[in-house]
Amino acid sequence: MTEKILEVKDLVVEFKTDRGKITAVNGVNFEVFKGKTLGIVGESGSGKSVTALSIMRLIPSPPGNVAGGTISYRGKNVLDIPLDQMRTIRGNEIAMIFQEPMTSLNPVFTVGNQIEEVLELHQPELDRDQRKEKAIEMLRLVGIPSPENRVGEYPHQLSGGMRQRVMIAMSLACEPDILIADEPTTALDVTIQAQILELMNKLQREMGMGIVMITHDLGVVAETCDDVAVMYCGQIVEQSDVKTLFNNPKHPYTKGLIDSIPSFDSTTGGAKGRLPTIEGMVPSLFDLPEGCNFQNRCKSVTEKCRGPHGEPKLTEINPGEFVRCFHPLS
Amino acid sequence: MNIYSYIIRRLLYVIPVLLGVCLIIFILFNVLSPDPTLIMLGKHASKTQMMELRAELKLDRPWFIQYIDIVRSTFTFDFGRSWSTKQEISEMIKNGAIPSLTVTLPAFLVSFVLSISISLFVSFYRGKIIDRSIVFVCVALMSISSLAYILYGQMFFAFQLGWFEISGYESGFPDFIPYVLLPILIWVVLSVGPDVRFYRTIILDEVYQDYVRTARAKGLAESTIMFKHVLKNAMVSIITYVVIRIPFLILGSLLIESFFSIPGLGGIILNAINSSDFPVLKAMTVLSALAYIIFSVITDVLYTIVDPRVRLK
Ligand SMILES: Nc1ncnc2c1ncn2[C@@H]1O[C@H](COP(=O)(O)OP(=O)(O)O)[C@@H](O)[C@H]1O
Ligand SMILES: [Mg+2]
Repeated sequence: MTEKILEVKDLVVEFKTDRGKITAVNGVNFEVFKGKTLGIVGESGSGKSVTALSIMRLIPSPPGNVAGGTISYRGKNVLDIPLDQMRTIRGNEIAMIFQEPMTSLNPVFTVGNQIEEVLELHQPELDRDQRKEKAIEMLRLVGIPSPENRVGEYPHQLSGGMRQRVMIAMSLACEPDILIADEPTTALDVTIQAQILELMNKLQREMGMGIVMITHDLGVVAETCDDVAVMYCGQIVEQSDVKTLFNNPKHPYTKGLIDSIPSFDSTTGGAKGRLPTIEGMVPSLFDLPEGCNFQNRCKSVTEKCRGPHGEPKLTEINPGEFVRCFHPLS
Repeated sequence: MNIYSYIIRRLLYVIPVLLGVCLIIFILFNVLSPDPTLIMLGKHASKTQMMELRAELKLDRPWFIQYIDIVRSTFTFDFGRSWSTKQEISEMIKNGAIPSLTVTLPAFLVSFVLSISISLFVSFYRGKIIDRSIVFVCVALMSISSLAYILYGQMFFAFQLGWFEISGYESGFPDFIPYVLLPILIWVVLSVGPDVRFYRTIILDEVYQDYVRTARAKGLAESTIMFKHVLKNAMVSIITYVVIRIPFLILGSLLIESFFSIPGLGGIILNAINSSDFPVLKAMTVLSALAYIIFSVITDVLYTIVDPRVRLK
């Protein structure tokens, strides 16, 4: 059994908006293990980023606030510690990279400068030359060619893929225990995507950090994750190890997501026919239906799902396999 | 392209611009304006009197030569003598610039640093009570007429409390200090309102950018994020706003100088307008155009220093 480094329990995050209060994350539970990757997958708006930002305590407040739950990092609840103590964790023990490589780096500082800044903050024992050396070493580690020159360049001189590599270099400079990657490849070309994911897998093998991989793309999950949590409307609807999830999805939503992954058909040399998609729309967080949140899009919906029995609960139907459905698939 | 050849090239562009400025001055003062001899001698002057004065003022020469005269004085900085005081104009400018600058320069620096600091502070507390109150005070300060500040300041702080001189000026350091303190204070109060509102808008534009979230995720303190990351990005807009106003500092503030009897360039301009002193007005026009051009070059150079995305071309 590998070491558990992060445990999120019953996390609830609310936002006050002009139209009223919404619960963007509603009772989420998961664990992150050393050297393992947890995938959080779901459509846009399902609460993935809000979950990730809560771990870093970066929810913009107002309008947001963490209304309940605990986030234990190495036994202490990071939601309770003072902010200056949280700052010693951010970027140092828990690091995060974002979806937007084009805008996530500061345009007026060199990439070297931005990597050195995080070292200066968390590793004050290093002197200026050592920091510079380490920045170059990090750039080399993430596969940036001629890092000695690149270290003095500004973000606008690099491509999107290179910038995301710089973000990875920056986030791993202090060798964190946990890396939270919020859709790290969504904004990149497909070939670059594959390279970045491969890089993250490789760095994980070398450095042993736990990764929280947030994505809306099950293809990414298949390539990187050990465990998966599928989110829908701020809740986890299915959670298990990656093999079980792909071979034997229990929730109709998960099944729909898997069926809509494009696959390559070698006999025709192109994509197979039209991809099935999940019909219908994600309900608005402002008026969620009675009963199951997925009822309006579900193929196996029954009267039971429409309200009288309340919401389905997340239940462990097999060891390590959780599903939130009245009629789980077999 | 390196920065020095860039600066030299930009300065060479100043020449055609100045020639254009001279042309505008020529059209305004020598072609379109009413005959200055008429203003100077009155309606009843005889034809010969007028001809003599025109000759004396070199207004009887061909227009091309008159234009060349303006160009020459612009490039040699020799504007001749004032029609009304008969003083050498370059001398007048030199004597007026120092009193103007003793007020405007410190006033400018103090209000700049103060406004930027206040703006960073309120941007940090955006939307909270402290932010709203300070913005409210800024609007209130802006809504009061500058005359009210001047008259109340002279009346209360200078006359009743005796903290400052009411008006006047003495040249030489440190004799001028008691005379400039109140004008500086009033200038600062007048600029802080609009400046804070402007800088706050710029800074708030930056605060929601993705790189700020990255900086937080690195574990940086909010003060470092504001003063380092946000401020440097906001600098591009701030520079544009600030540097373009510097030429007006050189010319002084007409209002403040005349109320406080400070013998600066503002007063010289006012007198020249009142007495249709064309050579002085021309000189002042050239001076402000020149200042404006030079500071816009400085602005462009500063851009390239602050923002690496700006390319020299
Ligand atoms: N700053 C915010 N203000 C108001 N609502 C927000 C804010 N950030 C997120 N939300 C709400 O939280 C929900 C989940 O958002 P998010 O976690 O970003 O989704 P995703 O799964 O696409 O990352 C969204 O429906 C959004 O309306
Ligand atoms: Mg997101």
